Amino acid sequence: MSWKSVWIRGLWSQNPGLVQLLGLCPLLAVSNTFENALGLGLATLFVLVLSNASISLIRSLVPDAIRLPVFVLVIAALTTCAELLVQALHYPLYQSLGIFLPLIVTNCLILGRAEALARREGFVMSALDGLAQGIGFLLVLVALGVLREVVSGTLILAALPPGAFIALGLLVALYRAIDTQLQTKRRQSDSSDVASRRVRTTGELS
Amino acid sequence: MTWRLALFGLVSSVLVGLVYLWTQPLIAAAREQARLDALYALAAPLLVEGALAQPVEVVWPDQPPSTLQNPAVITPIMQDGRWIGMVVPIRTDEGYSGPIQMLMALDRDGRIVGLRTIEHRETPGLGDRIDIAKSDWILSFNGLRYDDLTPPDWAVRNDGGQFDSFTGATITPRAVVSAVASTLAYLQQHDLSMDWLP
Repeated sequence: MSWKSVWIRGLWSQNPGLVQLLGLCPLLAVSNTFENALGLGLATLFVLVLSNASISLIRSLVPDAIRLPVFVLVIAALTTCAELLVQALHYPLYQSLGIFLPLIVTNCLILGRAEALARREGFVMSALDGLAQGIGFLLVLVALGVLREVVSGTLILAALPPGAFIALGLLVALYRAIDTQLQTKRRQSDSSDVASRRVRTTGELS
Repeated sequence: MTWRLALFGLVSSVLVGLVYLWTQPLIAAAREQARLDALYALAAPLLVEGALAQPVEVVWPDQPPSTLQNPAVITPIMQDGRWIGMVVPIRTDEGYSGPIQMLMALDRDGRIVGLRTIEHRETPGLGDRIDIAKSDWILSFNGLRYDDLTPPDWAVRNDGGQFDSFTGATITPRAVVSAVASTLAYLQQHDLSMDWLP
């Protein structure tokens, strides 16, 4: 798989927030402001890149039977490190993220990437995939954060939990609309040759 | 296989341990800064005229309630060489998840000037409304003395008291109210005229 397709997968075609819909709990809960969204997005990115990289490194040492406990152990250790680092470097962020920082452990995106990819692929590819998926997640989180923070000035609903669901729904709808458009365009440019050939065929038959 | 799992456990623990050792001093400093910020915000009404003095260590007489550390470090607020109030740290273990740490500023009459939670792990969206960042609930204590209310009124509304409880989270506000009430009751009972303050 080429590096380019890893990026396309992480940022667009398999975006964790918009397509795979993984890690919704923090995505919805902590996206009320830009700063929270950015903070949690960066912490998740940190854990995801390092967990993908380290799981890829140890993949030949881990027998199948203890695969899951070892993966969870690695992810939990990295999350604890992330929590300590946020606490040391930006304490107010640690306070406002609260329980969602340690809850990165349970973000199924991270275990999902470990299971789906990092336990088979090499170090560079796994780290890159973690980076792409993590940035894809971060962008959706930040987009939600900005959207909700801006709108909540006029519409208080946007700052409340239901606002998170509605805003995410709108983002997914927007994604689908753009994606469908892109695909139709691609199909049209593919099928224009086919169509003209068909015309010729029928022309010969009649 | 068991050994391998144990080995992975060991390696990860060492890693976390190293990060912990490295970040510990930074975290302690950040925590102290947050505590100071809370302290200033809390005692603001008294700080118009007074100033925070050096923290002093006090040993509470008799049997202080579990909300007070013994000895505790309190911060007197001084004006022209006499104290006009103080900031006392209180904590309770009766919250929903983990200890709740608070700071309470009292004036000379034992009246609450300000109250803030500074550390807690209560459920987001439910119990965390004890946090000033999430709700104004904690301000409902401002201006109260222990004998302003009858003892049964020092409770959440569900228990027949004065204070609002949160939908879906009664344990958290109950813990805060009872911690504040028992601390105030103790302080008033001992008429701590603060002679022990320098």
